[in-house]
Amino acid sequence: MALPDTVPYIDWRWDDLVFLVLAGVMLGAALLVVLGRDIIRSGLWLVLSFAGLAGIYALLGTPLLAVTQVLVYIGAISVLILFAIMITQSKTGPGALVFNRQWWAGLIASAIIVVLLLMSVMLTDFPLAGTELIPAEARDIARLLFDEYLFAFEVVGVLLLAAVIGGLYLAVKDDDMPETNVQPGPGTGEARDT
Amino acid sequence: MGIFSAEGAEHAIGHADEGVQTLLLLLLVLPLAGFLLTGIFGRRMGKRPWIIAVAAILAATAIATYLAFQSLSGEYGEHGIGFTLYTWIPAGDFHVDVGFFLDNLTALLLIVVTWIGSLVHIYSIGYMSHDPGKWRFFAYLNLFMLSMLLLVITDSYLVLFGAWELVGLSSYLLIGFWYTKRAPALASKKAFLVNRVADHGFLIGIIGVWVLTGTLNIQDSFEPFLDADLLARDAVALLLFVGAAGKSAQFPFHVWLPDAMEGPTPVSALIHAATMVNAGVYFIARTSPLFASAPEALITVAAIGTFTALLASTIALTQKDIKRVLAYSTLSQLGYMFAALGVGAFTAAIFHLMAHGFTKGLLFLGSGSVIHAVHDEQDMNRMGALWNRIRWTHWTFLIGALSLAGIPLFAGFFSKDAVLGESFILGFGWVFIIGLGVAGLTGFYMFRLMGKTFYGENHVDPEVDPKVHESPPSMVAPLVLLAIPTIFLGLVIGTPLGDSVIFNWLEPVFHPAEELLHITLHEYQLFGIDGSLILASVAVAALGIGVAIWLFGLFNGRGRPETVVAQTERNRVTRFLYTASYNKWWFDDLNHLIFYRFGGAVANGIMWFDVKIIDGIVNGIASVTQSSGEGVRHIQTGRVQNYALGIAIGLIVMAIVFVLLAR
Amino acid sequence: MSQSLEAYLALSAMLFGIGMFGFLARRNAIAMLMSIEIMLNAVNLTIIAFGAFTPGLAEQASTIALFVIAVAAGEATVGLAIVIAIYRNRRTPLVDEYASMRE
Repeated sequence: MALPDTVPYIDWRWDDLVFLVLAGVMLGAALLVVLGRDIIRSGLWLVLSFAGLAGIYALLGTPLLAVTQVLVYIGAISVLILFAIMITQSKTGPGALVFNRQWWAGLIASAIIVVLLLMSVMLTDFPLAGTELIPAEARDIARLLFDEYLFAFEVVGVLLLAAVIGGLYLAVKDDDMPETNVQPGPGTGEARDT
Repeated sequence: MGIFSAEGAEHAIGHADEGVQTLLLLLLVLPLAGFLLTGIFGRRMGKRPWIIAVAAILAATAIATYLAFQSLSGEYGEHGIGFTLYTWIPAGDFHVDVGFFLDNLTALLLIVVTWIGSLVHIYSIGYMSHDPGKWRFFAYLNLFMLSMLLLVITDSYLVLFGAWELVGLSSYLLIGFWYTKRAPALASKKAFLVNRVADHGFLIGIIGVWVLTGTLNIQDSFEPFLDADLLARDAVALLLFVGAAGKSAQFPFHVWLPDAMEGPTPVSALIHAATMVNAGVYFIARTSPLFASAPEALITVAAIGTFTALLASTIALTQKDIKRVLAYSTLSQLGYMFAALGVGAFTAAIFHLMAHGFTKGLLFLGSGSVIHAVHDEQDMNRMGALWNRIRWTHWTFLIGALSLAGIPLFAGFFSKDAVLGESFILGFGWVFIIGLGVAGLTGFYMFRLMGKTFYGENHVDPEVDPKVHESPPSMVAPLVLLAIPTIFLGLVIGTPLGDSVIFNWLEPVFHPAEELLHITLHEYQLFGIDGSLILASVAVAALGIGVAIWLFGLFNGRGRPETVVAQTERNRVTRFLYTASYNKWWFDDLNHLIFYRFGGAVANGIMWFDVKIIDGIVNGIASVTQSSGEGVRHIQTGRVQNYALGIAIGLIVMAIVFVLLAR
Repeated sequence: MSQSLEAYLALSAMLFGIGMFGFLARRNAIAMLMSIEIMLNAVNLTIIAFGAFTPGLAEQASTIALFVIAVAAGEATVGLAIVIAIYRNRRTPLVDEYASMRE
């Protein structure tokens, strides 16, 4: 069964609807990341936000990037973040404040920056931009990567290697330090001052 | 043809040869060496620290006498000789030479300064013999001689000002010689401060001379000065007179001289009778062409001089300290000199300067002898009947008193008559009348002093009485030596009347000034107007003396003390006059009110302003800086998020600016 | 709407703002890192959006975005390792309480 040309009941195009839904999910999830009290929940909302973004990449005609986003961001970075959250859990839990003392200033500054950005976006003509979506073929991307940008590609590889080594070095447990791996939950018995 | 000879004044002034140059410089070097050596080594010289100082002065006296006689006998020409030692300040247009100049006027001053100076030094050997600080005294005396000699031989306004200040300094050091006591310390400070105030006028006047004439050499400044306009000349002359009035204690700067009596008596004799106070008179005489070209200033000089003469003599009538009477008498006689200068009788002024110098020097040293005899008592009410017991002192003192009162044929008679006579002849009747009155008062207060000190009943403190004795020869000898010119100076220099020796000596010096004032010689009429003037002044003086003798006694006569009391108490007017005179007409209190209270209030107000506002501003800037620093410190929180917020804010600001600019 | 460049750019602007707020306001260091990731994502979206609507830029935009993702991954690694190291020392992940650079 083929999809009707526009969404039933509301006369929108499918693309627009999908875009709106994905945008809403992404923004909402990001908001919850930032505002959430429980940091593990924040991490999970972050995953959702990444997923939404992957969808938008797909909508924009770059399926390669969408998949990369899922693989790297959700599959690696988010996992890494969640692990780190587990390791650095402290007993302060619900009692601690979420925001610091300058949150209102941050709010205002962010709002102003958003407004400025929106203004500059809306008020600028982009003469080169059409209204046609141009998909990016994977073949073309690959050609660029291994041809023009080969050097950058290799350098990024070295960079990632350096990051891994650095991360290992920094995070390796000293034997003098007591293991701080405590599962979240009530009654584990260790009082810890933070 | 101008006032000055056709070739110009400098041309007429001879150039001093090498020998004279050396002698002039020695005049300065000798007392300087005496001052330095006695000052540095004096403490270790034991019993006789005066040796170097006295030797230096005696040598300087010999040189000065030689130079003076050479000049007066005409060896150096009519217009004197001079030379320039070196250029002190060569600064383009501004050009100050250190020059020296010797003519008859300087010669006469050299004689007065050095002769009286050496006699005072010798007198001090005896007078200060018990004082542990006498080495300091002789050092200071030499310093003073240096400054005074420099003052009379220099040809530069600036060097003269330097010597002027140096004289003031020596006076300060010597008045406050017993600085551990309160009264001398205060008196020396007062003398210095009053002089300093007057010296400001002097300095501005010197600057005015330079502005008007472009030179700071005295002789060179006469001719260009005439080209300035009258107002400028009057102003400059008045300012210079302010300085002279300060040094010579004329009204309103007279207040320091009586207080200066706190110094040792030789100091009073030397500085405050015979030399330093004459500096003002000398200066005006030296720059007579300047003053002659500013008649309004000259009238002011005469007026102030006359007023001071009158004021001081009224105060002398009631004082009970023997040195105070002499101090006020000095003020009064200085007033005569300024009056003479003011009417244009320059020669008479200098003549009176010389005669008064010797006379007053004699009187002060004599009073020192009296004080020494009654063991440091200076209140005349506790003396009396001393004439028999300290004969040398008494007879020389009597000679001085007669001379000061103007009795013929002593020196004071000739000089005072010259002053009064000239003022009348030159048309200043008011000066003559007031001067005549002052002459009468002079006679009166001098013989009041004689009566209370030497005659009448013995009021000496009974404990001191048996110890009254004549002074040692080192003190009596100068008295005798001073009595000689006191008697004979007039006869030698002041005759023949109408064409006297001193007049001939000083005629070339004052000729330019006299021409400017259109003064012409007049025929001397001994049995005419001039003789009557003499008669008048002698009569008035005799009257004053007579009344004083009647009231205060002579030799063994006791006078009428009851009458004195009765007359002063007679009615409210006389009581008031007595009180006014005794309190010096309340000038010191007036000064205290104006300068200490009112001036103090002003000073306090300014201090408030300085502390609160100016310091407040400075401290305020400092504290603003400090507190803003402390405030800004809080930006460095050490927290990354705060810094990130800062970045965000900066970004916003830049964006806004960019957007606004893009419009 | 989905065919307009402005929409995507607006979306990314809002995402960026959310991320920035999170970075400035959260106390937990890991939350700050998550906010950084959100901001990076927003920037990536901007790049891709431009590439999608501008002829000739599509592949290059994707390439750039790929690099950004790679570098972001490296950065997240190192950042989290640092946070863990600090946590071991100070026992707290709250940046407010890292006070040695104060005063």
